[in-house]
Amino acid sequence: MKAYGRQHLIIGNCIAAVSAAEVLRRQNQDDRITIMGDEEVPSYSRCLITYYLGDMVTRTHLLSHDEKWYRDRSIELHLSTKALSVDPKNHTVIAEQNGKKKKFSYDKLLVATGSSPIFLKSFPYDPDGVIGMRNYRDAATLKRWAQKGKKAIIIGAGFVGLKTAYGLAKQGVKAKVVELLPTVLGRMTDIEASRRIIERLTSHELIEIELNNSVVATRKQRQKYVVTYQDGREEDADFVVASVGVKPCTDFLDGTGAEIKWTIKVNERQETTVPDIYAAGDVCVSPHILSKEWIYNAIWPVAAAQGRVAAYNMSGDSSITYAGNLPMNSVDFFELWITAIGNVQADQAENGGIETIKFQSPRIYQKVLLKQGVPIAFMAVGNVDGAGLVRGAIVAGMPWKDFIKKPQAKVLPIVKEVI
Amino acid sequence: MKAFIFKPENCDLCRKCEEACVAVCGPANKQSAEYVPHIRVFQSPEGPYIRLCRHCEEPPCVDACIGESLQVGPNGLVIQDEERCIGCFMCNMVCPHGAMKTVMSQEKAFKCTLMCGTKTTPTCVLACDRGALFFEEVSQHNKKIRRAKLKEIPRK
Repeated sequence: MKAYGRQHLIIGNCIAAVSAAEVLRRQNQDDRITIMGDEEVPSYSRCLITYYLGDMVTRTHLLSHDEKWYRDRSIELHLSTKALSVDPKNHTVIAEQNGKKKKFSYDKLLVATGSSPIFLKSFPYDPDGVIGMRNYRDAATLKRWAQKGKKAIIIGAGFVGLKTAYGLAKQGVKAKVVELLPTVLGRMTDIEASRRIIERLTSHELIEIELNNSVVATRKQRQKYVVTYQDGREEDADFVVASVGVKPCTDFLDGTGAEIKWTIKVNERQETTVPDIYAAGDVCVSPHILSKEWIYNAIWPVAAAQGRVAAYNMSGDSSITYAGNLPMNSVDFFELWITAIGNVQADQAENGGIETIKFQSPRIYQKVLLKQGVPIAFMAVGNVDGAGLVRGAIVAGMPWKDFIKKPQAKVLPIVKEVI
Repeated sequence: MKAFIFKPENCDLCRKCEEACVAVCGPANKQSAEYVPHIRVFQSPEGPYIRLCRHCEEPPCVDACIGESLQVGPNGLVIQDEERCIGCFMCNMVCPHGAMKTVMSQEKAFKCTLMCGTKTTPTCVLACDRGALFFEEVSQHNKKIRRAKLKEIPRK
């Protein structure tokens, strides 16, 4: 009799990893599960770090998975352990742990390393003053800097950029956000939604947002960081946060033969192109639930679901596949909620064929995009109640005229008020 | 497995279910004057309808919860640690039933966690004397129909 089942090794320790580990344990009590994470703390929700920065959640609240969580599920946990290389032939991973190299072997390997912030030549990483906002350490660093610093420049008004500005403002730091695009929150908004969000955010005296501008250079001057904008103006700050985007963490897979085009290629069973290596979460692609195109949809719900699907397949149940999701997100700034589902900017495309229905009032802005009468995207600002009902219609391909006849649909202002 | 069954043809919007729900589950978060029951009955030209958590088998809200506030409990019910809710309303974005209560003044979303009558019958069902609301064991046959219906609402 075999003493153990399979050896599962998971690289990464965020939601894709822990949701996978949970399923692996449920599927098989005898399998050995090992998780290695490069951070010094056990798993937590990375989406909450900006809330932690703004003191909206406590440290105990943030660090949701204590060591007991791993013990209860008999998961071997290795913290501060960074994978360096993978040898698919011998089924081993070399990792660095406390400055020493350590070898791990696996029968099935799950890559759930997520992504890291992008830095450019115009704003290179500097541990003393130019960092990204991606993990607990970043949040703790910014929190420390916020104690003495009075001003921050945030490059990029995406999701993370704005939430970081929000968090810093709550710490009493003046936050200046610079964005290249004419709108904030990237693909989540249009001009009108963006205007409302900016209005709400800048109603706080410490937040300033400048659109259509970018940073071309950053230099350190005495204790300050001076950025130069594309129009030649200069501005200084105590520190700079880069939030122009993220890059999947795949370096350690070099030489394995896994197909990586910026993101790791996977199939609907989360298998990479290398046998016994799976990937899930922000590190890989996922299918768009409608078009079935493989897109980079780095959101929490996708990571959670992909981790689970990978785990079923790693334990031998190949009947479970991932159907995909839509790009979507939901957030609030000073009690102004924004929910966006699908490509809400599709109506700005030249080729047209998109019908737009809008509802606008001083407090509420809602918009639904229809293609041949079927909703493909929905955005709500101010009142987001019942957004999931529209998502259901989008995913089911239900014509809008049928959807609005459903009694439940009446909770949406865009259905109730627009005739 | 038990499930809520709503028969709109018998509902006359007496709102006894809502009152009963507030009476039992209310106090925990009643600080707000805006407190709303977990079960909400609405009137529409197409007849009455309810907004209430169905405790789905594969709940999309649990996957979407970035605060790890929503969880699947040991008995399969979708439970919530209200303290952990950070009010992003991701759950509301994915719930195909529109069941999440988004309470803006508290910056939190709430839902039915079946804390009231788990042993026998939920309090809202007990309160309904019109024969409009039931909480019944779903027979295998019904379960098939329910599964098929649920498949019409793709999730995740």
